[in-house]
Amino acid sequence: MFQGFPEIKEALLSNRMQAGFMVAPMAIALRAQGVPIKIVYLGHRYGSAVVVSKDGPVRQFSDLRGKTVAIPSRFSDERLILFRAMEKHGMKAGDIRMVEMAPPDVAGALAAGAIDAFSMGEPFPSQAEIGGFGRVLFHAREYWPDYISCVLVVRQDVIDRRPEAVQVLVDGIARSGLWLDNPPKRKARREHAADFVGRYYFRQDPKLLRWALSNPLDRVEYQPLTPLRGDFELIVRLMRETGVLDRAIDFSEYVDPRFAEGAQHQTEWRYEPGDSRAE
Amino acid sequence: MLAVGAWAAVITAAHVVLNVDYNVLLNDRLPIDKRKLYVAYIPVT
Repeated sequence: MFQGFPEIKEALLSNRMQAGFMVAPMAIALRAQGVPIKIVYLGHRYGSAVVVSKDGPVRQFSDLRGKTVAIPSRFSDERLILFRAMEKHGMKAGDIRMVEMAPPDVAGALAAGAIDAFSMGEPFPSQAEIGGFGRVLFHAREYWPDYISCVLVVRQDVIDRRPEAVQVLVDGIARSGLWLDNPPKRKARREHAADFVGRYYFRQDPKLLRWALSNPLDRVEYQPLTPLRGDFELIVRLMRETGVLDRAIDFSEYVDPRFAEGAQHQTEWRYEPGDSRAE
Repeated sequence: MLAVGAWAAVITAAHVVLNVDYNVLLNDRLPIDKRKLYVAYIPVT
């Protein structure tokens, strides 16, 4: 487990990690710089929000003019969503001061008044809400209906030498997504997932993850996770317009779609709370 | 001289215990198709 996306980038470059979840623009920028990696799947859809102080002066987006907003990276969808909102509200690039901050630090920074807002993925918006000091100004989907953020990136040498292992990984994520988003069992399964992920993977209070995964239930979604050309071409266009990508790059250069295609007919994990293993 | 040698031995032992990830070392010595893949993530959804 890492605390920020730049550290994941370094771990992938050094081969300390062979795969990783990172924000889509960072993966695209690395590929554009010649780093031998590919996006093979999405981690989730939606799940990012802009959060302001609950009783602060920011009541609507235009109130953010001149304010300081934390983002996870200049190569992040959380930054791009701010630009989309700024464009809609007739604001210019310099109207909001954006500062890069490790995701686990933003809620504390907002509570301490070090920043006026943050644009970040869950569960940090939930953390600010539960803590009673933050208020969601808007969820990303309000300005970006097909919003995506974290993607699964794999080193090219692993894709070339061990495609079957990459397929197992992608199949597992696909099955988990289907399991989590099974309509009749969605709420109970998300609450169960929050408990074991909080305890054994994220080391966070399960209450926080329960809030993030079920308040409301579509706050974060885990289907469809296939990387789609249109979604990524929009990200590339926004990256170029906002000065973090200096050349056009084709979808085929940074996405390897065969693993998502291979996972299309997967079914959800056979697992219910209390079972000793998933099959 | 003895004290310096003992100090160097203690520091070396501490380094070997604290700073070497033996799981990674052993994993790197396995055939490529047997190696465990490491997946990086941060605690976000």
